Amino acid sequence: MRTLVIGGSGSGKSEFAEREITKLHPAAASDKYYIATLMPFGREDEARIARHREQRATRGFTTVEQYTALAELQLPTRGGALLECLGNLAANELFAPEGAGTEHAEAAMLRGVIALESQCDDLIVVTNDVFADGETYEPETENYIAVLAAVNRKLAQRFDRVVEVVCGIPIALKGEIA
Amino acid sequence: MVLVIGGKANGKLDFVRQHLGYNNADIANATLDDRPVLNNLQDLMLADPSSAESIFPTLLTKSVIICDEVGSGIVPIDRAARHWREAVGRLCCRLAEQATAVIRLQCGIAILIKGDLTWK
Repeated sequence: MRTLVIGGSGSGKSEFAEREITKLHPAAASDKYYIATLMPFGREDEARIARHREQRATRGFTTVEQYTALAELQLPTRGGALLECLGNLAANELFAPEGAGTEHAEAAMLRGVIALESQCDDLIVVTNDVFADGETYEPETENYIAVLAAVNRKLAQRFDRVVEVVCGIPIALKGEIA
Repeated sequence: MVLVIGGKANGKLDFVRQHLGYNNADIANATLDDRPVLNNLQDLMLADPSSAESIFPTLLTKSVIICDEVGSGIVPIDRAARHWREAVGRLCCRLAEQATAVIRLQCGIAILIKGDLTWK
């Protein structure tokens, strides 16, 4: 089953996604992968990564770092995977020197997710709701918003379930939450 | 405690007045006092985002807490703005856990997303 999880900052989407993949794959670490896309820049990111790592520690994830070129990732075994998150992956593909760049970022992300789903039984992809602050940004940020939104729409259409998390509460937008 | 959330100007305060039976005298604006309803929790957090821990027990004594959803935008470059959004979100997650009901307002439409509550 493929699930897209969306929420704003501090919405509790990560905790929900981790609980959900753990429900589907409660067993040993060997069959449950956490694919981290957050490229750490400074202490705030390190603190965030530490917090997330702590949340995962008891749930038996194998952590894999993949900042760009998701399509190249090979999982050693088949099982469950949690990709966190598309917001960072989009930023890396668009803005990092090794990223796919403006022209190819969207395609690279979609190709990556499709390659990933073919390697696991259950996939949860976490994405970010960055679309409702009423601001207008400089073109490169507007393009970032457009790319992330396009990938969200395409995955929402493709996936079995779409869940929005609000204040830690999951709301099914497509499919059902068990 | 009932938590009422939603984007800015989506009808949260009107909903609390019209359907949960509170009037203006019951409603405190971004301040903690004896009134049963706290409006604009996000503004209360602006003064000190790190105050979440210390005000949490007091928040639990409220009948209704109204808070704007503030996390659905581009992550601000400004550190304080970023921390505030994150802190408001995390605090709302904790309040939602403790709340008997959570209601989300969208375009003036109230959607019960947690608990069992009917309104008039």
